[in-house]
Amino acid sequence: MELEDIVSKYPPKQIMLIPIAIIVLALISLGATYLSTGSPVHLGIEFTGGTLVTVPATGTEDAAKAQFANYPLVDVRDIGSRYMLQFGPMSDSSYAELAKQVNAEYDGAEIRHMGPIYSKELQAQVMRYLPISFLLMALVVFIVFREPMVSLLVVVSALADILTAAASMNITGVQLSLGTVAALLMLIGYSVDTDILLSMRVLKRKGSVEEKIIGAMGTGLMMSGTTIAAVISLILVSNFLYLIIPSFTRMDIIADMSTVLIFGLAADIFNTWVTNAQGLRWYLNRPGKTVRGQRR
Amino acid sequence: MSLINDLFKDTRVVIYAAAVVLAIIFIAVFGLKFGLDLEGGSYLQLQLQGAVAQVDVTPEKILEVQFGASTVEKHGDTYVVTVPGKLDPTLADDLGYSGAKTVEQGNATKVTVVASSETVITNYLKKNLDADVKIVAVAPIKYEIRTNVTRESLNALLAPVNGSVPVGEDTFVQGVTPDTVDETKKVLDSKLNRLGLQDIKVRIVDNKFILIDLAGMDVATAQDVVGKPGKFEIRIETENNNSVHVLYGDAVESVEIPQGDRQGGWGVPFTLSEEGAKVFQKAAIDAGATKNPDAHDISMYLDKDEIFSAPLAAELAGSLDKVPVRSMEARVGSGDAGSAKAKELYIHLREGALPVNVEIVGSGQVSAALGAQFKIQMVIAGLIALLAVAGMIYYRYREKRIVLPMVTTSLSEVVMMLGIWAVAGWQLDLASLAGIIMVIGTGVDQLVIITDELMRGGEATAAADRSIKERAAAAADKAGTKVAATTSKVYLTRLSRAFTIILGAAATTAVAMLPLLYMGFGALTGFALIIILGVILGTLIARPAYGRIIGHILGS
Repeated sequence: MELEDIVSKYPPKQIMLIPIAIIVLALISLGATYLSTGSPVHLGIEFTGGTLVTVPATGTEDAAKAQFANYPLVDVRDIGSRYMLQFGPMSDSSYAELAKQVNAEYDGAEIRHMGPIYSKELQAQVMRYLPISFLLMALVVFIVFREPMVSLLVVVSALADILTAAASMNITGVQLSLGTVAALLMLIGYSVDTDILLSMRVLKRKGSVEEKIIGAMGTGLMMSGTTIAAVISLILVSNFLYLIIPSFTRMDIIADMSTVLIFGLAADIFNTWVTNAQGLRWYLNRPGKTVRGQRR
Repeated sequence: MSLINDLFKDTRVVIYAAAVVLAIIFIAVFGLKFGLDLEGGSYLQLQLQGAVAQVDVTPEKILEVQFGASTVEKHGDTYVVTVPGKLDPTLADDLGYSGAKTVEQGNATKVTVVASSETVITNYLKKNLDADVKIVAVAPIKYEIRTNVTRESLNALLAPVNGSVPVGEDTFVQGVTPDTVDETKKVLDSKLNRLGLQDIKVRIVDNKFILIDLAGMDVATAQDVVGKPGKFEIRIETENNNSVHVLYGDAVESVEIPQGDRQGGWGVPFTLSEEGAKVFQKAAIDAGATKNPDAHDISMYLDKDEIFSAPLAAELAGSLDKVPVRSMEARVGSGDAGSAKAKELYIHLREGALPVNVEIVGSGQVSAALGAQFKIQMVIAGLIALLAVAGMIYYRYREKRIVLPMVTTSLSEVVMMLGIWAVAGWQLDLASLAGIIMVIGTGVDQLVIITDELMRGGEATAAADRSIKERAAAAADKAGTKVAATTSKVYLTRLSRAFTIILGAAATTAVAMLPLLYMGFGALTGFALIIILGVILGTLIARPAYGRIIGHILGS
């Protein structure tokens, strides 16, 4: 297994260059987006304000466009037997008119309206709660290990996961929505699970650090595997099933959530078994330091 | 079946089995409730506008400016305002001092106002903001202003009376007090229930947002229903229990917070418009209520239901005989019963206007057909997830005896969670269902940790060296004889090591999700709650039992 070779044979300092490079690339991507749009990721309609309407696809897309030409229509998309129409911000009275028109002309329309206060408040909430979530996680990690360096490695790996997941949103064009925020929070809490397993095994068991890392890898990869399996099933059903079974529809909130989760989980595999594991090898194998269970 | 017998001697296994059975009973008895996005209907997200502020101003200056007075003197709890020339007789009433005594002395007018300094400030703010103002804290005194104001707009408002908001962070705070939020919710609840709508949910999020779910209604209708006041009517008794219409709700300009008097009586003060007061006076005189109040009750109706009925007070009847009166009070009784009745009447009277100005910040609708389709899609996703997870476990362990307990445990966690949702009456929305699927994926993780910790024992061995079966057998050997398997020391050490990892992992997942309970106007509360509870239930009930069961299986 190649990953095992990388993990155990090469000197940790050389391998660490890869995760450092990835983190730098992620920061560049987030920074570039920040400079061009004013926020590190592209903001979805929930954060910019506007109205989303999905209606059964009875005519052509152009016909639907013409129907709502009086409103600030931004985009029309086919999402599997339905059209999704995205409108920019509009006044309360024209929104009320729009809602009436949609319901008069279509059966079973779905409408979501996000006013300016809603989006402003949501932005403020994300700025406030995302760091709180991360700090709470870090606090738990420090309490569990009570070893500053080991805890720091776990927290740094988690940070790398989040940065990579956020940067991959920019690359794949996924916008920040309520669903993606939930996914990022879930990643903060979940991505450290394999790191905790790894660090616990390395600290508490007998044997060389390398052997223990490889031992933990079997369990850890299985953990990520089952979670990724669940996420893939969400991606399939929310995002692709409607392409095969025409009567099904895209489920936005689930699709956004699962896309971010899959990137984050992939990043987590890398960061656990490369970033965190190499960090542990370097820290525990330092010359002149006696470490529990060290053989060399 | 000695395995089953052995297992049922273990309390952890018994608790686990009981929890699952209980959950199934709960689901069968209470049933599951689904959220709006799965059942169809519309939702409104309202923000309550208001602020709690301290105010630096002298009441004398306020009265001087308001009355155009030459002097204002304070004597105890009365202010004597001297105005040059004649005074518009309705001015005092208009400014909120309905009991003021006006005496003309030569070419000046003396007005005696009974009011504390706080009342003067409250009246000034009310008059100028056209909104309710309430004192919510003493030392320092804080006023809750129930409309959209900023520090700047309030300062501008106070400038003509040489007043200002004191400098400092906590002298002006956006938002209203929890009591006010609650009161607004009650008014909405009462109003929507009165309309006979089924399945209405009014929730408060983050102490400043109110979410309303209306099943089976499109969003345009929902906005109308919530925005439209109840139909309020005042009638007066004529002869033989007949009554005639006097006023509709549009004539009621404002309703004040219920007040108790010194004798312990309770009432709800309200103010009629100028026009309304004239109509009311005429109706009272025509019906003969001013001469014989007791035979001509005044009644209030909301959407045809009587909510209040009482004769005119003698004092009021006397005044009405001469002049129109704008400020009145609906008196309901005394003591705790009176206080409760006053609150109820207040809510009814307010149904036209909410206590606080609200702004609709978001709204939407989902059709029932689309919701039903989402439900099917999520069930499919759940099944795929379960199959995929089972497949992965089989791929790794290649042992039916391990795969079956794992998948069953994971499934039983889902059942336990649904049981809690059923008994609590919580709604499952789209995001909650996604949360359940995530729990299937992450819950199994911890079962994997337990299994591996038990099978691998003390040494880290290169993964490919031995087959799982061999290792399982070796683990069983080490774990001691068949019978003593679950009590062996090695086994217990390993189990406790596994649980250290699991507890750490569970705690990080749970704390990271905590903020979601408060975010996104409640849209993700279900998702967060499912993940947090899934982690807690799994760690406390399902996994300890699984540890025992798998120990027995590996041992036999």
